[in-house]
Order: sequence, then C-alpha cells, then structure tokens
Amino acid sequence: MIETIGLRKEFGARVAVDGLNLTVPGGRVTGLLGLNGAGKTTTIKILATLLRQTSGTVTVGGLDPVKDPHAVRKRINLIAGGERMVYARMTGRENLWYFGQLYDVPSKVLKTRIEQLLELVGLTSAADIRVERYSRGMTQRLSIARGLINDPDYLLLDEPTLGLDAPIARDLRKVVAGLAECGKGVLLTSHYLAEVEQLCAHVYVIGDGRHLAQGAPAELMAQTGCHRTVRVTVTDLTPRIRAAALAFDDAVRFAPGGVVELNRPGEVAGALTTTIIEAGGTLGGLEIVEPSLEDAILALNDRSPAVAA
Amino acid sequence: MAVAWATLRRSWLVTRRAYPWSYFISTLLLGVFTIGLGYLGLRAIAGDQVSAEFTGKAGTGDYLGYIAVGAAAYMFVVHGILWAGKAMLQEQREGTMGALIVAPARRLPYLLGFCAFAGTAVAIEVAVLLGFAALFGVRPATTGAVDAVLAVVGLALAVFGMSVVLSNVMIVAGEAHITQNTVFYSIALLSGFTFPRDYLPEVFQWLGELVPVTAAMDVIRGVFTGGTGLPLDRLGVAVLISLLYVAAGLLSMPWAERRAMERSY
Repeated sequence: MIETIGLRKEFGARVAVDGLNLTVPGGRVTGLLGLNGAGKTTTIKILATLLRQTSGTVTVGGLDPVKDPHAVRKRINLIAGGERMVYARMTGRENLWYFGQLYDVPSKVLKTRIEQLLELVGLTSAADIRVERYSRGMTQRLSIARGLINDPDYLLLDEPTLGLDAPIARDLRKVVAGLAECGKGVLLTSHYLAEVEQLCAHVYVIGDGRHLAQGAPAELMAQTGCHRTVRVTVTDLTPRIRAAALAFDDAVRFAPGGVVELNRPGEVAGALTTTIIEAGGTLGGLEIVEPSLEDAILALNDRSPAVAA
Repeated sequence: MAVAWATLRRSWLVTRRAYPWSYFISTLLLGVFTIGLGYLGLRAIAGDQVSAEFTGKAGTGDYLGYIAVGAAAYMFVVHGILWAGKAMLQEQREGTMGALIVAPARRLPYLLGFCAFAGTAVAIEVAVLLGFAALFGVRPATTGAVDAVLAVVGLALAVFGMSVVLSNVMIVAGEAHITQNTVFYSIALLSGFTFPRDYLPEVFQWLGELVPVTAAMDVIRGVFTGGTGLPLDRLGVAVLISLLYVAAGLLSMPWAERRAMERSY
C-alpha cells in the first residue's frame, strides 16, 4: 500500500501540496483529481522518489522513499503523459531493452516481456524504428510499455492517455484495469474524467494542494449535490402548473421554452411529470441528464475557500 | 556491470546516429591544428629555438613533444568531461531524466558506462593527434609501460571525479556552456597542459591544486615528457583528490537530481 500522511511540499514560498493524506492500496485504481496546479503531479513525483516532501510521511509498500529510494524504485514505475521518457535516437525495442537493464530484469524474462509489451501497446511492427520517427501517440505508447518493463507493484500514472488515439486509450484502460485485478496498486491522474469514472474505485479530489473530498465517483457526486437532472418540457406552462411544480419541490427551476428542471437525488422524473399532468400540463419532452464527475470536481473547487481565493 | 555495459551500448548507438561523420572529422582536426600551430609557432616565431628557462621548467627541450603530450592530455580531459559530465544534463534535455531517476539502477555504473564510451571515443581522437604529431618528428617517450598505464589511469580518474561533480553543477544550473567553458579555460591555465606551471604566480599554482587534473598532469609530464619516471607522491595526490571529487559528486547527486526535477515546477 502507498500511504501519505500530512504530505506537504513547498517550492520556495509556494505551497504545492498541503497536508495531503492519501492511500493507494493494491488491487485498486485510485484517482487523484483536481484542476491544473492542484498539486497532482507534484504528489505523484514525490511518490515516485523524484521529489522529496518538505514534511509529512510517505510509505510505499512499507518502505520509506526518503530512507530507501533504491528499494522503492524497484517496486514502482511512473508513466507521465506530458513527458517523453524514452530515447529518441533508439528504437522502441532498444529503449525497452535499456530500461530492462536499468531495472535488472533477467535476460530471459526481459526478452519475452519486451515482445509482450510491444504487442500490448501495438508497436510490434514499429519495434525496430527509431523513436524520433514515431508519432506522438506511438511515443506515448512506448512510454507506457517502458513503465511496465519492471512489472511494478505500484504504478503511478500521470495523464497516461494524453495524446493517445481513442482505440489505444481504450486498450490502455483495459490494461490498467487488468493490473489492478492482478493486485497492483495504481494511482491515476487524468483530465479525461470519463476515464477516471470508468477505472477508479476511489477518488481523491485536491485543490490548491489540499484535500477537498474523497470517495467512490458516485459518492463524490452525491456529496457535492451533483444528482441527475430531470428536464420536462411543457407545451403550455401556465401559472397553475408552475405552482404545482413548486409545491412538488421548491428546488424546481423554470427555463425558457417551457422547461421545468429539477436536480435531486433519487428517482423524481415520474412523480414530477405526474404532478405536471395532474395540473393540466401537456408533456412536450422528457430528458434525464446523469451527473458527471466533472460537475462534482467543479463544485468542490467552487466551495473551497483556498481555491476560490 | 549490466548497467555500465548497457549504458556504453546505448551511448554508442545514440552517438553514431546523432552525429554525422563530419563531427568526428572536426574533432580530429582540433588535434591536427593544435600540433600544426605549435609547429608553426616554433618555426616562425621562435626560430626553432627553445629557451633554457623553458627547458629547465618543462624538463625537456622538445617543445613539440611537450605540446603534443599536453594537447593530447587536454583533449582527453575536455572530451572526457564533455561526454561523462554532460550525460545527466543530456537526459534532462531529452526528457528522460525522470525515467532514469525513477529506475533503481545506481548512478555509479551508469556514469562508468558513459566513461567507458568516452574513453573509447577519446582514445581515437588522441591517437590521431599523436599520429599527426609523429609526422612532425615527435616521438613520445615513456619511462615504462607500467608508468604509462598508471599515469593514464590517474588522469582518467581525475576526469571521472571532475565529471561527477560537474554533472551535478550542470543539472542544477540547467546549462552546460558557461560551466564547462569556465572549467576548461581554468584548467588550461592552471594545470600545466600547454606550459610549465612554474611560470604561474604561486597563488595560481596553489589554485591549480584544487582540481585533480593538475596533479595527474604532473604525473603525465613525469612519465611522458620529463623522463623522470612516475612521481608517486603526485600520483597519490591525484588519486586522493579525484576520490574526494567522486565521493562528493556521488553523495550530492541525489540532491542535485531533486533540484533539477524541482526546477521544472
């Protein structure tokens, strides 16, 4: 398990991470979400031993990255979508071979693993082409293969699907889900919130380096009041219907075009439409919009005094 | 050793692909011009005459031989530092530093791999320089094969020590040009590559002692120029200072790497 307690990182006068408590158990994909500058990448780089925290404690599989970075590095790997992390003048296969040496992967294992990873990321046919001739997406796929070369216990993914084509991103999500099923701990940051909703069983939301909320994506949406929205279009929105709708729930809103809108937990569409019909209304349409994680994060950031300031 | 070998192989592949043959030709021309200018200076300015003072301080009247040994050693030092000392900075520029640091490989074998590659590349360049010097009648002398090997190893250790320290300075500063040129000009002045250090004011002679290549050059001079044999005391000083540089460099490297990573935030 990766665990941080009171994690804090300062860059001069700027506080990038402020008292963050985080747990990344094995067998689960854990999300770390926040707006730009929230401290996600800094947190991941501390966990990856690239940076050292100003205060607070970090343990990776019971090991302290400050006291024993060498042992921690054997058990983790990092894939950062915003950085290349592979050598441009080497081929894909040569890159994987070199990183395999850096991770002391036994020769026989390495040979097989390189082929498997190349196939996994769809680069088998381009394995002997230099990376400088790869497209951005191909380079990113190779970087993903590099991140798996040591078969890490914990995988730190910082925007791993940035710049990837949809089919490759989908395949990567399958790989990440599979890794978690195999018992590996995965920490994921991504701007593609649908990806986070799909993969993460537990999500931490941070803003301005501080913890804002945590829970399963559905729990977060509920915590922030992000519920499904019911929109009923009424062809003849009379004062009587308005009064009936408000009597049903005073959170009802009215929009141009005869739209009656209600954002509430639970199933309210049936009861609301019944109320409108009983008040003499004629339905022109019914739309139910599911809440998104994006709504929840925006709501959390809006509520955070530090972020708002 | 696997990491050192892999890094040597990687350096060879990347360098062969990164630099056209014209780069090697230009590098080799440096040696040709150095010896050529020394020859022209001796013939056109000094009229083939070397002062008794120079002979006394250099321990030889063979000016071209003195220049050839000094130029070869300077090329060895400068290019060695350029290859090994800039390795981490190159990683930083290429965007691979994070991937390298997050791997558990120790930095010492990684740097030794670069040094092994640098040694191979520089050996070719030095051989061309000395071969060209031979055309002008320079016949490098040595006081013995063992002396020669120990002298070269001493210089290589000095280069490695300086490379490790400079590597840290470069990645923290995020630049190589000012750092390397400051060092190269300083050692050219202080370390006895192109003229006897006895010509320098005493304070500069002591300043020279702060870098390991100065003592290592005294050993080179004793074996390849003065014919006085292996000065064990100076070899000891060179090894000691070099090991101090290596230790300081390796111990401060994790800090330097973190600083380098922080600079991008």
